Amino acid sequence: MSNILYFMMQFITILLIAPLVNGIIGKVKALTQKRRGAPLLQMYFDLYKQCRKSAVVSETSSWIFKAAPYIVFSSAAAAALLVPATTLLAPEGFAGDIILMVYLLALGRFFMTLAGLDTGSTFGGMGSSREAMISSLMEPSILVSVFTLGLVAGTTSVFGIMHAMNRLAVPLAQPVFILIALSILIIIIAETSRIPVDDPATHLELTMVHEAMILEYSGRHLALMELGASIKQLVFITLLVNIFLPLDQFITLTGVAAIAVSLLLYLIKVVFVAVIIAIIEVGTVKFRFFSVPNLAALSFILAFIGFLQYFVLGR
Amino acid sequence: MEGYNEILSVLILLTSFVLMANKRVKSYIRTFRLQSALIALTAGIMGIRSVINEGSYDVLVICIIIVVLKVIYIPNLLHKTFASVEYKVEKDFYFNIPLLILICCGLVVFTYFSISRVAGISEGEINSAVVNSVSLVLIGLFFMICRKKAIGQIVGFLVIENGLFVTAMFSTNGMPFIVDMGIFIDIITAVLIMGIIVFKINDEFDSIDINKLKNLRG
Repeated sequence: MSNILYFMMQFITILLIAPLVNGIIGKVKALTQKRRGAPLLQMYFDLYKQCRKSAVVSETSSWIFKAAPYIVFSSAAAAALLVPATTLLAPEGFAGDIILMVYLLALGRFFMTLAGLDTGSTFGGMGSSREAMISSLMEPSILVSVFTLGLVAGTTSVFGIMHAMNRLAVPLAQPVFILIALSILIIIIAETSRIPVDDPATHLELTMVHEAMILEYSGRHLALMELGASIKQLVFITLLVNIFLPLDQFITLTGVAAIAVSLLLYLIKVVFVAVIIAIIEVGTVKFRFFSVPNLAALSFILAFIGFLQYFVLGR
Repeated sequence: MEGYNEILSVLILLTSFVLMANKRVKSYIRTFRLQSALIALTAGIMGIRSVINEGSYDVLVICIIIVVLKVIYIPNLLHKTFASVEYKVEKDFYFNIPLLILICCGLVVFTYFSISRVAGISEGEINSAVVNSVSLVLIGLFFMICRKKAIGQIVGFLVIENGLFVTAMFSTNGMPFIVDMGIFIDIITAVLIMGIIVFKINDEFDSIDINKLKNLRG
């Protein structure tokens, strides 16, 4: 019973909040530029409109082109089920493994790059090759930070890690967690096509990465692709806030009220991180593509020194 | 508040990595300013503690000197020097940046494994802070080696000095006042002289690239 409740709650929460995060980031960016900006719920309207329109599929494309949106969406949703929004409702007998989460997202990305290549348009191929480069650069730092978290918590289960963090009073008071949190923040920016790495708002052919891959999509396929991308972004943000800013241990209520309060806290934390990401986007310019390895190296180093702090000095 | 020096030492180490990742002269002067500000913050916290515990104002005075000297005066001096020599955007380092950062990582691994074996250092509260500060010295040295421009050399030298200062501060809660003052006066003369030498190099060779110093000119 608890399992079904958890999956339902998790799925609905993630699905409802994910487009909102994009709305918040866009709104903060607009406000800093003294524009009024699109409404917070703009992405929901877009998704609704796209779902009603028919999808145009190129005649030369294969089945991969049609299958990719469903695979991208379902892999992101499956990864989202592994990362609990609240740790109060842990399902029994279910170990959401963090390494599985990373590679579920990688599976979606793999099919997205294939779909970019499938139609044979130049932009799609270019976007795919860039995406492949960015993801291969970011993978070491993701894995090192994940392994360090696993070492500290003594388990690779996401629930286990979050429970271990709940037992600490303030995780960010320890150097190792500061380093890993900064590393994950860089990973979020790179993985979700945010500005120093890729500009989500551009359709300029020279710079787009994620947009280039989904350029050929329309209608419900486009809606699934965009929803998948925003769920992926929320998964990483959830990982960041629930591991490094755990507040669940302070809730003394029980039952439904506790879960409601916990979800509310989760929403506040997500908004907080979204605002930070928006400020980073406003404050930096897009890097030259060949400067992205510098960022990846920095992220890797952060994670690796965090690992050393724990491994050599034992704290 | 007990773990604050470890966190600050890690952040100071991080700024040295950011310094390594910076491409432009202006951006690494700015990062140096940030690093000095963090060091001043550390000294400030330590100074307030020593005022409360022992009633001595030495460390607090040193903190103020750091703010004036390393956060305001020296970076401004470097900016001014760099603005008045010929400005050319060119590659300033020998290897690419990811490789530089990975070499720095190797240096940190080296210090972690060597210093943490030293007897007595892994007891008490000073361990990881000291280890991070010693890595800072090595990274400063490496920064001097890998940059081509003369301003990079000055910044590398200042980072070494920062590393030595932080090591001393974390391991002994601050050196005697007179020793620190001596070091600061040394630093300020060294930077002034180096600034003048940069001018001279630029006059003679039309560039501050130190590779050009290999050529003889009559």
